[in-house]
Amino acid sequence: MSGHHPHEETTTSPYAARIRAIEALLLEKGVLTEPEVQDGISYMEARSPANGARLVARAWMDDGFKELLLSDAKRAASELGMEPEHPAEFVVVENTRYVHNLIVCTLCSCYPRAILGRPPDWYKSFEYRSRAVREPRAVMREFGFEPPEGVEVVVHDSTADVRYMILPMRPTGTEDLDEEELARLVTRNSLVGTDVPRTPEA
Amino acid sequence: MSGVHDMGGSPGGPIDRDQHEVEDWERLADAINSALGARGLQTTDELRRAIESLENYRDLSYYERWTAATERLLVEKNILTREEIDERAAEIERRWSRP
Amino acid sequence: MTYEPGDHVRVLPSEKPGHVRTPDYLKGKSGWVESLIGAFSNPEELAYGLSGLPERHLYKVGFRQADLWNDYEGPAEDRLYVDIYEHWLEPEERGTK
Repeated sequence: MSGHHPHEETTTSPYAARIRAIEALLLEKGVLTEPEVQDGISYMEARSPANGARLVARAWMDDGFKELLLSDAKRAASELGMEPEHPAEFVVVENTRYVHNLIVCTLCSCYPRAILGRPPDWYKSFEYRSRAVREPRAVMREFGFEPPEGVEVVVHDSTADVRYMILPMRPTGTEDLDEEELARLVTRNSLVGTDVPRTPEA
Repeated sequence: MSGVHDMGGSPGGPIDRDQHEVEDWERLADAINSALGARGLQTTDELRRAIESLENYRDLSYYERWTAATERLLVEKNILTREEIDERAAEIERRWSRP
Repeated sequence: MTYEPGDHVRVLPSEKPGHVRTPDYLKGKSGWVESLIGAFSNPEELAYGLSGLPERHLYKVGFRQADLWNDYEGPAEDRLYVDIYEHWLEPEERGTK
């Protein structure tokens, strides 16, 4: 069993008992083993936006890595010890002075989970999935972000076998920061497009 | 007529930016799915299709949809029956409600 | 049908039942092929436990937002890219509607 969970007595979802029932039955019938279930839990716990921040920080510091990230993101991720999903593609799109990108999956909230971990609740919301393709600028304003005058907004709806992440622009005034300090500026939302990275003073 | 899941371009209200704490049962839903996938017993496409087929899609949360869809697939593939899941879930809930 | 980047295409207004990965909001809309992403087993069949073979080409297709929505708020250059399977596309003559 994956352990006693005292907080579950207070959960209001009837599905909590159902997934526990499914787990128990699958283990009893030998369809799955406990280590496999534990591996499944550890898999997601090991993944977070920090991975994305590392990819971005490295790309900001190293033009060769940046080129690799934009042309073969899976290989770039592997170079930093990460393991993207398979067989889906992993693609990184670049924000520039002319283009700001926004990622959505209208059909089901696909997200590069193998790199970034679980998507935020807002990304999975019906409101985001409905509106991001049709009114991306209004959506970004709700998050407090507005691209500068003249910048085009490009939305990517990951409908099929591709998972997207954004390579945001490096903030100005960061020339003296090392890779770790740069990574700390990269917010999860800036990897999806509803925001841009922090500035060093912020 | 497209499914209720096909919502790109539909009208929508403000986006709730609150983040709920992931519950253990939700972690488990994730884990069961990746374990079944690793075993070759279920694919991402099957899961998506099963989620899309849920009649109460709009009333369920993300992981509730995952759980309901996983159940549907396991029953469809004759790995588990609905009755035994019902029975075990009821037993678990009884155990949880005991003081 | 194989497409090259720059080809003008239209998304089929198909109402085929079952699991599809082409969103409703694109059906009948015109755009351009940005790139070939690769070949993948057909998710419409994988969804039902079938092999999904032979693999289908998946294209990154671009659309002008102004062409998709009557009420789009933003400059004419704003665009949307969607990943669409070859069997959902048909070629379109440049300039046609």
